[in-house]
Formats: sequence, C-alpha cells, structure tokens
Amino acid sequence: MKVELKIWRYDTSTGERALRPYEVDVTEEATLLDTLDAVRDRLDGSLAYRKSCRMMICGSCGMRVDGGAVLACKTRIADVVADGHVPVVSAMGNLPIVKDLVVDMDPFWQKMRAVQPYLEPRLDRATEKENVVAQEQMDMIHKESLCINCGCCVSECNSMESDPDFLGPAALAKGFRFVGDARDGATIDRLERYSEEHGIWDCTRCYFCNERCPKGVDPRDAIAKLGAEAMKAGIDRDMGARHAKWFVTSAKTTGWLRETELVPKTQGVVKAIKEIKFAMSLLPKGKIPLPFPPHVAADIGESRALFDLVTDQGRSGAAGIVQGEKALMHLAHHGESVDGPSHPYDDPRSFPKPYLPDEEPAT
Amino acid sequence: MKQVAYYKGCLASLSAKELDISTQALAPKVGYELIELESVTCCGAGDIHEAEPDYYLHLNARILSYAAATGADTLMTVCNVCTLNLRQANHQLLNDAALRERVNDNLEQVGVPRYEQDVDCVHFLWLVAGESFGKLQEVAHKGLRGLRIAPFYGCQILRPSKLMGFDDPDKPDSLERIIAACGGEAIDYPAKIKCCGFPIIQAREETALAELIQPIEQAKEAGADAMVTPCPLCHLSLDAWQSKLKKQTGKDFQMPIFHLSQLIGVAAGLEDAELRFKRHVVSMQPVLEKLAL
Amino acid sequence: MGRGTAVAGCPVARRPASDRFQAMDVSFDVLVVGAGCAGMRAAIEAHDAGARVAVVSKLHPTRSHSGAAEGGINAALGNKAEDSPETHAFDTVKGSDYLGDQDAIEIFTREAPGDIYQLEGWGCVFSRNAEGKLDQRPFGAAGSPRTVYSADITGHVLIQVLYEQLQRRMSEGLVVFEEYFAFRLVEDGGRCTGVICWDLLHGGVKAVTGSATILATGGAGRLFRATTNAYACTGDGMAMALRAGLPLKDMEFMQFHPTTMYPSGILITEGCRGEGGYLLNKDGERFMKRYAPNALELASRDVVSRSETTEIEAGRGVNGSVMLDLRHLGPEKILNKLPGSRELAMTYAGVDPIFAPIPVRPGAHYHMGGVETDEWGLTPLEGLYAAGEVACVSVHGANRLGGNSLMETITFGRRAGRHAAEYALGRTAAANGRAETARADAEAWVDGLLAVEQGERPWQIRDELGQSMLENFGVFRYPDKMDRQVGIIDELRHRYGRGVVIEDKGTVFNSDLTQAIELGYLLDLAACMLQAGVVRKESRGAHSRPSDFPERDDENFMKHSITTWVDGAPQLSYREVRMTKWEPMVRSY
Repeated sequence: MKVELKIWRYDTSTGERALRPYEVDVTEEATLLDTLDAVRDRLDGSLAYRKSCRMMICGSCGMRVDGGAVLACKTRIADVVADGHVPVVSAMGNLPIVKDLVVDMDPFWQKMRAVQPYLEPRLDRATEKENVVAQEQMDMIHKESLCINCGCCVSECNSMESDPDFLGPAALAKGFRFVGDARDGATIDRLERYSEEHGIWDCTRCYFCNERCPKGVDPRDAIAKLGAEAMKAGIDRDMGARHAKWFVTSAKTTGWLRETELVPKTQGVVKAIKEIKFAMSLLPKGKIPLPFPPHVAADIGESRALFDLVTDQGRSGAAGIVQGEKALMHLAHHGESVDGPSHPYDDPRSFPKPYLPDEEPAT
Repeated sequence: MKQVAYYKGCLASLSAKELDISTQALAPKVGYELIELESVTCCGAGDIHEAEPDYYLHLNARILSYAAATGADTLMTVCNVCTLNLRQANHQLLNDAALRERVNDNLEQVGVPRYEQDVDCVHFLWLVAGESFGKLQEVAHKGLRGLRIAPFYGCQILRPSKLMGFDDPDKPDSLERIIAACGGEAIDYPAKIKCCGFPIIQAREETALAELIQPIEQAKEAGADAMVTPCPLCHLSLDAWQSKLKKQTGKDFQMPIFHLSQLIGVAAGLEDAELRFKRHVVSMQPVLEKLAL
Repeated sequence: MGRGTAVAGCPVARRPASDRFQAMDVSFDVLVVGAGCAGMRAAIEAHDAGARVAVVSKLHPTRSHSGAAEGGINAALGNKAEDSPETHAFDTVKGSDYLGDQDAIEIFTREAPGDIYQLEGWGCVFSRNAEGKLDQRPFGAAGSPRTVYSADITGHVLIQVLYEQLQRRMSEGLVVFEEYFAFRLVEDGGRCTGVICWDLLHGGVKAVTGSATILATGGAGRLFRATTNAYACTGDGMAMALRAGLPLKDMEFMQFHPTTMYPSGILITEGCRGEGGYLLNKDGERFMKRYAPNALELASRDVVSRSETTEIEAGRGVNGSVMLDLRHLGPEKILNKLPGSRELAMTYAGVDPIFAPIPVRPGAHYHMGGVETDEWGLTPLEGLYAAGEVACVSVHGANRLGGNSLMETITFGRRAGRHAAEYALGRTAAANGRAETARADAEAWVDGLLAVEQGERPWQIRDELGQSMLENFGVFRYPDKMDRQVGIIDELRHRYGRGVVIEDKGTVFNSDLTQAIELGYLLDLAACMLQAGVVRKESRGAHSRPSDFPERDDENFMKHSITTWVDGAPQLSYREVRMTKWEPMVRSY
C-alpha cells in the first residue's frame, strides 16, 4: 500500500523547521510507527522519533497526527490515509521539541515528581505479609493505574497551553492514583498540595485529555475525583472549590444556579467588589440577573431531600464518580460495543465451536 | 411535529434568556414541539460532578426521569455542559442495572418517579444538523446573505467523543453545514474546537482569558463578521468577557456572537422580539446592518 | 496572552534543557545499566544499602520492556491453594528440563514471597481475591495457582511501582541518566569500572564510572522477525560482556511464546489460558489434548509452541496460525481479567475476543541464556554484575515457566544490588585512569562509524537476520537449516563489518547510529547461539531437534554451554549443572 504523509522536521543544530512530504510502501495492517520506520529505513535515516514496545504499553511514541496526539503504534495508517488524506505528523504540543518528533519530556516528569509520586504507607497497616485490601477498594484507582506516561493528554491540554505551570492531566491523575489508594497515609497532605495554584482547580474541563488518552485513563475524571476528595476533606479554600460548592448550594436551595451570587461566593466579597465596574457594564444586558426574588424550580424540596438522602449512602467523594465507571467501560475504546449476539457461537459466520479430540466436531 | 422534552438549563433561564426565547420560537419551524420541563434543577455543570458526584448523578437522573414522564423519547438541550452532564449520567444508568436500581430507589423515596423508560439526550444542534436538516434548509430561506461566520463548538459538545459521538471531535462539521444551509460562509480556524475558558473564568481569570482570546482573535484574523456557538456558557465568555480582553491586551475585537438558535432564527426570519439581540454585551448591530443591505 | 500558542500543526521548537552531565561528578559506587524491573530493583537496593547509585538507560525507565509483561509473577504465597517454595522449585526444575541450577532455583523460590510482599507494601496495584489478599492465577506447568497478577498488565504495574520508588530515591541523591545508550564496558586492572555511553538527547560519548557495575539490559528478542520483544531488546548487555571477554551461558535457548499475534508478533498473555482460554486448530479441535493430555493448554511453553507448530505444519492451522479462543469466558471475565489482551487483539488483529478467536503462533519471547553469574549476580569479572534477562543464573535452564521471569528480575535484581553495594562500599573507589582513554577510544570508533559514506544501509542486514533466524533457528531446529544459518550469519557479519551507512550525521537523538551499533550486537549474539545450538545434539526444553536428536540426552548434554569471544569468533565450552535434590525424570504434562 502506498502512503503519503508530511512530517514537520526540526533540526536542532540549525534551528531550521520544514514540512517535508514522504511517500512509502507499507503493508495494509501497518501502523503509523511502521510507516515512520519505513521512511527512516528507506528514505531518510535522520528522521528522529521515539519508539520501543510497539504495543501501546511503553508510552514512547506519542506524537501528533493532524494536530491531535496519538500513539504512533496504536494508529493504523490505512485509517488515517483513507480517501486520499495526506496526514501531517508533528511533535506533541506543550513540550519543547528536541528534534523532529522527539520532545523534551523533562517538564512532564518534573510535574510528575511534584505530586510526590510514591506511596506513603499508612503506619497502621504495617504487616509481615500483604496489606489486606478489597478489590472494590483497589478499583478506585483502576483507571489511573493504567497510565503509561506517554504525554498525549498533556499535548493538547488547553489549561497548560495558557498556564505552562499547570500540573496537568498526567501528574494529577498520578496524584489520584495515591489519594484513592487505601494504603496511602498522606491523603490530606496530598489534597492540600494539589489544591494549590496550578493544581486541581486550574483544569478548564476541555476534555482533550480524556479524548487523547490512548489507555482510557480519563485524566479529567481523575481531576474531578481529586476535587471531590478535597471537598469531602473540607479542603475548599480555593476559588475553584468555592465555585463548585456554590453550584451544590444552588441546586439544593433554588434548583437553578444562583448566577449573580456566584462571583462573591467564588472570589470573596473583597475581590468581587473590584469586579463591580465590570458587573455594572453587564447589568443593563440582563447578564446579571437579580437574585431577588429568587428563581426557584418547582418541587425543589425533592432536590434537597435527594441531597440529604444520598450524602448518607457512602458514595461521597471520588466513590461517586468511580461507581459510574463500570458502565463507561461498556463504551469500550472508540465505540466498539460489547453487546453482540446472545452467544458468540450462535453467529453462523463465527469460528467453529471448540471440541476435544475424543468428541465429535461441532457442525 | 415531533414532541421532545426540553431542558433549558440555568443560563437560558437567567442571563441568556435570549437563547430560550429564540429556541422556543424556532423549534416549531424545524419540526419540534417543545415540552418544557418544570420540576427540574441545574445539571450541576461539572461543578457538582466534582463537588458531590453522587448527588450529581441523582440530580441528573431526576431530570431524565421527568423527561421520560413527558412520554417523549428525546430530551433536548441547548447547552454543551448540560448535554455532557446528562448524557454521562444517562449512560451510567442505562448500562449498569444495579446502579440504576439504587438511584431509582432513592428517587422514589423522595417522591420522584423512577427513571424507567429510556430517553436519549441530544443537543438542539444535533437535531437540526441531523434528522431535521432538510427542514432547516427549507426554513432558512431568508438567508445570511453571505455573512462570514466563525463556528465555535466549545468543548463539551465534542469531547469526550465516546459520550457525545455526533461530530468527529477533531473535524466537526455540523455548524459549518448549518451556516452553509443558512446562506452564510463558514470560516475555518484552529481554535474552533478549543476551550473558551468559561469554567475557570472566575477562579483563574488570567488562564481563562489566554484561552478565550484564541478563538476570537483567530476568527477576527480570518475575517469573520460574527461567531456562532451552541453553548450559552461559551456565549457568555465570548460575548461578555471581550471587554476584559480589551482591558488586558488593548485589543478591541467587537466580535458579535450568535447563539445557534439566533443564527438560524435570523435566516428563518424570526422577529426581533424572538431574537433579543439587545441582550448581548457586544453589539450585534454591525451584523444586522450587513443583513439589512 | 496566548502564551505558548502556536499556529495549528506548526510545532513550537525549543532546545532541550542544558546538559547537566558536565557539571556532575559522574563517579558512583554502584552503576546500574538498564532500568527495567531488574535494573530499578537493583538500584533501589543498592541505594538503600547506602551506596551512591547511578542508573544509565537507553530508554526512560518506564519505557523499559519489563512493562510489556502481562500475565503475572510467581511466588508460592498459597493464597489460592496450598503451595510451597519447594513445589515452586520443583516445577521450575522440571520446566527447565533439568538444566536449571537447583541451588539458585531454591534461593529464588524461597525469597520470592518476601519480595512480593515488599512490592505490595510499596503500593503495587495487584489484583485481589475475595478476602482482599493477593489473588493468584493458574499458569503453565505450575503445580498450584501461583501467579500473582494485575489483570493482564502485571509488568506495567511493576514498572510503575519501581519507578515510583526510584523517584523517591532520586530526591535523596540517586541519579538517573535517561536515554544514555551504554555500548562498552570499561575494565581496569581486572575490574569493571564503568561504561561508555552515547548521550542520545545531547549527543556525545560519555564515561560513567562505578566501583561496581550491574548489567540489567534485558534480552535480545530482536534477533527474530516474529518476536514479542520491543525494538530496544537488542542484547546490548550480553554483547558488551561478550566483547569484554566474559562468558555467556546457554545461548542456544530462546523461548518461543505460544501465543503471539499474527503478523505483528505482539504478545497475548499466557493468562488467557490461565483464565481458561482454549487453543484450537482450524476445525475447532482443542489439539493440546493430543500433546499434553493432562495439562492441555497449560503445558509448559516449549511443549505448547511445538504442538502449535506441528499443527500448523500439518496443515491444520489458519493462515500460519492457530486460534486462541476466549469466547466461552464471556464479556465480564474478559473485560475484568484480560482487558489489555482484548485491546491488543482489537488493535493489531482486528478481532474482538469476546466474539472471535485470536490468531496466534509461536514467537521469540525470552532468552534463557545470558551472562553467566553466580546466585548474587556476580559475573567472573570483579565488580561486574548482571540481573534479569541479560543474566543466566540459571533458574530457567532450557525452558522458563511463565511468571518466573518477572520474579527473577525482582529477586535477583535485589540480590545483585545488595551485593554490589556491599562490594563497592567495602573498598576504595575504582581507579578511573582508564575511563578517559576508553572514552576517547570509543569516541574515535563512533566517529569512524559516522564517517562511512558508501555501502549498504543497516536495515537490510537487520531484516535478513530476523527473517533467517526465524526460518532456520526457530521452534524446531534441523541440521541442514542450522548449517545454512551459520553461513548466513557469516555473510551478514561480513557485510556489516565492511561498514554500513549511517545517514544521520548529527549528534541529537541520532537513533540511526544507535540502531547500527545494536545490529552489531545482534549479529555477534546470533553467531554464539548458532554455534551452541549446532553442537547441542539433543532435544531439551526450547532446543528441539526433531529430525536427528529428538530425545533428551542427560549423559552427554545435561550441562550448560559456555560461549566466550576469542579472536572475533565464539568459542564453546561446558559447565556442569548444579543439582541439589531433583534427579532428572521423564518430562510430561
């Protein structure tokens, strides 16, 4: 199969940048990584990219195709070049480029280290053998422990693009891997740390991280889990936390967001006063709806009763998010459904039913 | 006329009333009778999902339950954030029988009907770009007269795509098709699928504004007369926060921002009272003048 | 405003952070080469023993191939059924076809449980049983369900927990030189005193020295075109040791894993069969019943790979493969216990195992042979240790049991780290007089490689090597094919020796250069393997000669092959197997 692609080259020694076209022959099942190998072998030995396992587990080959981060080894080139499309391959975003498709991962690892990425064992669990932990408890950190540190989530993180100091999706997901671990004894300390500026509350919820993650970690959900645990622990000084809290209060009291009070509830009265001029400019347009009389949803008592009811059911904090993950797993990766024929043998096109040598083959 | 349950969400009830008014006016023209939900609350906007996730699930289950009670099989939203929150909760309930049972028991206990009959939650954009696209082409007869429109999708109508799934999350085209059907010209620019900064605009204004400026600046440079967005939160930041951008950067974009329902509404000949452009912070006058020519 | 924004598609470039190497004292007590499970475990132990430790690795540690291990790690915890280190040892001895050194195996199985508990205490995310203890799954040729696991990503969780612990120690002074490609050992006065590296990110030949050096560079699966191994698995440590005059042991024994996907060679875990998966021929017959009537799919790997190959060669395969069938396990079990395998099958074979079987065939997986060491990982060269797949202790003998390799990396990584630290701390620092000379020599050699302008590109030789090794030195070994392969390797080595063209002449991330060097390693190791294979006139474990020597010959060949490099060619000798309590018996499953 003939494949055309363009690659953003970058030469460190000259600082020269160029978008170069290539055309190579690869097999039908070739991945983007196989295609790059063919380019380097046969066309240009100086093309630089990282690779190792070629099976989606080492996390080396993160790069962008048409501006979106992917693992090269997970990307079937035939899918990319369908209908004559000529993809543009470039280095990941939000990280400095070293050469061609190779980025400097140092900032990535610096942030990882900033979340104290190792277990602080709980002293009361010290044992000669293993800690006894229920599988359901371990499931709390199932998704986060799938992370392979490839950087695809970081590549398109919108918050990090605007605030390079943002800890970012990978490091925060790693943080939850410990906060959600029943064996860790530093939970409060971690939540305090992650709640600081450039932490949990700097996420802009663009969901690029969930979209790009090749392993189903869903870092944005991990950040939400951290937020939930922080609030549960009463660590809610940050404006982002107060912002979130006000939504809960609104839902319980009037049902609808109490928009106008959101600013002082988030920023505090002093800072909000400084915003008065801005607010006044919006007032005539109805963008600052008057809080009185409040806009109250019908049957608001139900909403309040629900809140009181569920807060006693042990699913507060991150557990409230994790409980939905089993269902999300059925979305499978990229839309394949797990719901097929009632039994896989029933499909007439299916592979023959297994039998033992001393049995009659199934027909 | 197809009956759909209509969940307008917080902003369309309050600061973005013009979105609700124009949607209500437009819907029948493209084939929908909206059954407005009364006994519903905020979807939580991602904030309750983060602060009290279990409560978030129940609040949304309650909305879905009241939507199902209307007898309609479709719950229509006009906000990206509502769409994601409701779809996420709905997916969890539809694919985990035990979870649904627990949530239903809780709903029942506080007097809310159990959520039994499944509903599908969809954004108005998906209806008009999908099953009603033919109707849209018919009603958009007044046209946009070649107005150059920059479509701005925002985040939570595209991502996570496994929950959304209408547009290709990287190369969406529903807004472009609608703009074209309305006789406008769609402007292409990279930031149309990025974040407007709204969720952190109060807590992290500087970061949010650095996000916000990208689509507006790119749309301006690409020669857009106006932008259109399917999300009232995006609309609020794009429209109301432009003055902040001016203060910070000195750049006065004066970029008019349409709600999706207003854009189609103009092409479909809705009245001023149904469009309510006066409620916008950035004046829509330049665009309306172009259209008047 | 818009900090860091870029025009779409056009990358923002910046030079990498400055090279910290120049400003650093690069002489350490213990130097670990390679950062997979064995390397990181060794580095952690040496650090905890008080040594100043550096790790040199051509990949970032979490990129190491240990992370691709799937099914699990063996230790006789007895959490699922009765088990003991002694049973584990017997299974391992039998699995090794009586070529494993029994004293080392006894140490291994005795210390394994403690090592697992320690990993768990560090936070390793293992799967749990109903009591909340570590769950254990059945694995091939094991007398008890002994394999501790984490769904089917056990290697990944181990790599993660070890790197977590490594990072903790990095804040206490442990140094990691990432993307440093070590290509020569430095020897001074009969001691190993460090390695010479090519710095991939910044470029340049650099010397890092240590009073003790631990090789933990992994295997050489890239010798074969169909392999589960990563591109990085090029036998660097074995070849460096060989060229430094050290003996390699049992090089003819390459394990072929029975379930690697067609055509990529990507691994599907033995855990699939441990969880109840079937192997079927084209008719749907569970053919293993005819080859291993008791264990069926859970016979040892050499047995299963031979059975599959026989089926395929007899025309009962499907496109050169047999089928791994999980359909009867149902979606819940597949999603919970084998999600990674499902993802791999969907991505690389286009098959969802919930609905259809996965085409699999034997592929090169693990090198039982390696640098000869004692039970502390010490090689015959003072100051040089080896641990993990690069080493041959030997606990695997002629055939390794699934789940024993991860355990080996941990237990023998720890032992090597401990011994190396004690050795280094117990004596004055190594004399480093030779380091600069060796570095300069190596630099001149690299310059020579880069200077070649005319000739062939290395990839042609690489592809011919991989293809021919698979054809002529695979699951079954025939005398004529082995002879042919000896000739092919001679020819390829000759072509390589004439000089190959490295097109990238630059210094930054020049993987064209490092891959050319790796190819040289592979060629040397292929020569060693063939020589040892031709001379071993018996069938034992992974070395099977069905046409001329189909039986095991304990009288003549219950001994380790030892290969040394003399005058540019391998030279063979033998060493006795160390036995404690298990006499060789007929091996059947």
